[in-house]
Amino acid sequence: MSDAAAELSAATYRWPGGRGVGGIDLRIERGRWLTLLGPNGAGKSTILRLVAGQVSAEDGEVLVFGGPPSDAARRRVGVVFQEPTTDDLMTVGETLELHARLFGLARAERSARIGALLEELGIAERAGDRCGTLSGGLRRRLDLARALLHGPELLLLDEPTLGLDPSSAEAIWERLRGLRDGGCAIVVGSNDTAEAEANSDEVVFVDEGAIAARGAPSELTAALRSDSVELDWPGCGAAEIAALEGLEGVGAVRSAPPVLHLTVDGAASFVPLLFERWGGQIGGIRMRESSLRDAWFQIVGRPLDEERGS
Amino acid sequence: MSGATACVALLQRELRAVARSRSQLYSSILFPLMLLALLGAGVSEGLQPSSSILGAGDYTDFLAPGMIAMTAIFASTFSSASFYRDRDTGMLRALLASPHSARTILLGKALAAVVIGSAQSVAVLVLAVVIPGIELSWQFGWLGGAATVVAAIVTLNVMLNGLALLIAVRVRTMQGFHLIMNLALFPLFFLSGAFFPLEGAPEWLRIISYVNPLTYPVNLIQYACWASSPEGLIGPAITAPVLGGLALLAILVGLRRGPAAAQ
Repeated sequence: MSDAAAELSAATYRWPGGRGVGGIDLRIERGRWLTLLGPNGAGKSTILRLVAGQVSAEDGEVLVFGGPPSDAARRRVGVVFQEPTTDDLMTVGETLELHARLFGLARAERSARIGALLEELGIAERAGDRCGTLSGGLRRRLDLARALLHGPELLLLDEPTLGLDPSSAEAIWERLRGLRDGGCAIVVGSNDTAEAEANSDEVVFVDEGAIAARGAPSELTAALRSDSVELDWPGCGAAEIAALEGLEGVGAVRSAPPVLHLTVDGAASFVPLLFERWGGQIGGIRMRESSLRDAWFQIVGRPLDEERGS
Repeated sequence: MSGATACVALLQRELRAVARSRSQLYSSILFPLMLLALLGAGVSEGLQPSSSILGAGDYTDFLAPGMIAMTAIFASTFSSASFYRDRDTGMLRALLASPHSARTILLGKALAAVVIGSAQSVAVLVLAVVIPGIELSWQFGWLGGAATVVAAIVTLNVMLNGLALLIAVRVRTMQGFHLIMNLALFPLFFLSGAFFPLEGAPEWLRIISYVNPLTYPVNLIQYACWASSPEGLIGPAITAPVLGGLALLAILVGLRRGPAAAQ
């Protein structure tokens, strides 16, 4: 049996207006956590929808558990959408009951699983309340409960902790790590580099509808120096960039005017030198320990939080 | 799990939603009844129509079949609103993530809409029977007549929900849908013979009415529960197969094209 829960080969889908993804090659392994990392509009949700079988590839191939996305394949897939997908007129319990029935769970099993998930996700006492009365965080937990009801082997989550407080988010990540360890394939669409770095076995950079890079977080950050420096430097030209790259302990320099991004071996010794030579030209500086966020800037050539209409 | 079980689950969900949305339930039934009472009494007493087509001349009796059909139109409007709400809230996407085809999900929603619309129309029929002052004339005996009206109601609801799916493919917003309803469906209803007999209408208006899909259910219901004789009506030999054919066509094309509306 193949270890791939899903495979995309040169998969292409364009929404009306041209947005979408093209030529996506991806292999989603069982028992692994893959994060699709990219800004809003990069194409992460479209990839998730291709795997979920909610849109069909116009070109290329999508296989889910060895076959094309089908009604039967969806039985093994759980989906948490980016936006809330609950009916305000239904109660929490009714929402889960409806979806358990749609997934063919027998009455006794339905009742046991719904009760267990409500308890586990901390929404048991709201089971009789209408979804419209839930806070954003509780709705997110309900979305997750719904996706987990039928015991999926592949879980697709689009920004699953968006709008959640840190402790609620961590509770969800903890649950997902447990599922991954149990053999479930987890695919998360996100633009949060810290979450991606902390949880993922593999991170895929998605930019403008294509894959820009992929690898384990440690592989993607391997080329970076220890500290990251971001400079607001509107007048920085090729000569200054070449001079910076010539300094000892300085990695590749990326320019996305007016911002300049570089990683260095020890910002504490680099910054005084920097200001000694170009202090009058630099409008601002941000320093941190190098992370996936910096790997994104170095590979893609601009900051992750800059939206693109791909 | 079979598609039938999924349809039943969706039907129960929609029934629960309607039961909770009392204003929708009441307005679907009360508005046609209000029109029946006010317009019926106003025209019957105020204008005292003498046309032989109206039999004893009671306009309220004539109006009753049209109001039964109108209830179905109102109910289908509300059901379509539920489709748009599900799409806008994302609920439809969650339903489509289940192991059922988009057509099965849409069929379940359409089935629920037909059941709810038919139940509301039958409620108006029952009220028309029990309200003193409305005299219905059963063409095939009351049992046969009532069965014919119920069959016409169900078929009309199937047709309307098929049409609603087709509209949803093209019209992406609920506001747009209501605009279509106001600009197209209600004028068609006015030209269906529900408010005035087509027999005495000008020829151009009768020609329009013959190509109007709503003429056939209204005419069939009038034939089954109002007409004292077949004279002046198209007759069930034509209205029944035309209505059945239109309903089948609308729901089949609606379910074929509908999945595009679910995106």
